[in-house]
Amino acid sequence: MIDAAPGAPPPDWPRAGDEIGAQNFGPFAQEALARYAAVSGDDNPLHLDPEAAKAAGLAGPPVHGMLMLSCFEPLIMGWRRDLFISRLSAKFLRPVLAGDGIRVMGRVLRSAWVPKPELILRLTARGRSDDLVILAEAAVQHKNANLIS
Amino acid sequence: MTACDPAQAAAASGLAPEPGENAPVRLPAIEVRTEPGEVAGFLRETGGIGTGDFVPLTFPFRWLALPAIRGLILQLTGGEGFLPVHESQSFAYERSLHINTDYVLDVEIEASEKPPRLILKMVVSTAGGEICARLETVLRIVRLVAETDI
Repeated sequence: MIDAAPGAPPPDWPRAGDEIGAQNFGPFAQEALARYAAVSGDDNPLHLDPEAAKAAGLAGPPVHGMLMLSCFEPLIMGWRRDLFISRLSAKFLRPVLAGDGIRVMGRVLRSAWVPKPELILRLTARGRSDDLVILAEAAVQHKNANLIS
Repeated sequence: MTACDPAQAAAASGLAPEPGENAPVRLPAIEVRTEPGEVAGFLRETGGIGTGDFVPLTFPFRWLALPAIRGLILQLTGGEGFLPVHESQSFAYERSLHINTDYVLDVEIEASEKPPRLILKMVVSTAGGEICARLETVLRIVRLVAETDI
């Protein structure tokens, strides 16, 4: 049970504007893309074959968007382990090529405690030149939300 | 086959085409299981959180590679000379998935011509019919350019 007065969030409950510290992932070598393809089943040649990437107009194989999107879960769990991610929506804006990494970060857009303890987060991933590569939004709830009265 | 032709893809899949030029193609329900080894491998390659004691948020994306789903995506993509490029993705969870548990997938794919895209919607339910998660995947269809075309 979370110890808080009715309607009042505990002191450590995040507020709108709070930042989720940046975290680096990668660089994602071509071998990492091959391993992700093996565990995810996404063996689209675009990510694995430089010739296919070239034919699609890219200078090299791009990192799987889902591999990069998967980095948001450890970002959030590293920030607070008492959250359940109920929704994650993302747009892949620019490719990140094999060999490069990303920097992911977040910010609390909205914070509520009642009727349920929920945060709306803005999440971003940026590439080597600080260019925005993924723009995402997540809704997260306290894991013990159903115990809060 | 041209890119994004759901009618032809439905016919090729043995499915009854639905009314409308670009009506979604719905697959028969697919049974899956969150095998511990597959979950652990997925966790290892996607950020390294945990040691395989939970199912990561994006794990259900893996089921798009199942033969029935993958085959339909490839058919709707248009075959050789076209590739799907991931444009957007969403997950909405009503309850967490658990390791070593059976689930049922309901999948439908809709194609749009202008611009050429596939919109795949998947619902993950328990064997008892309780909805756990909904996914939406948007794939843009890119025509590959051979060197002789450049």
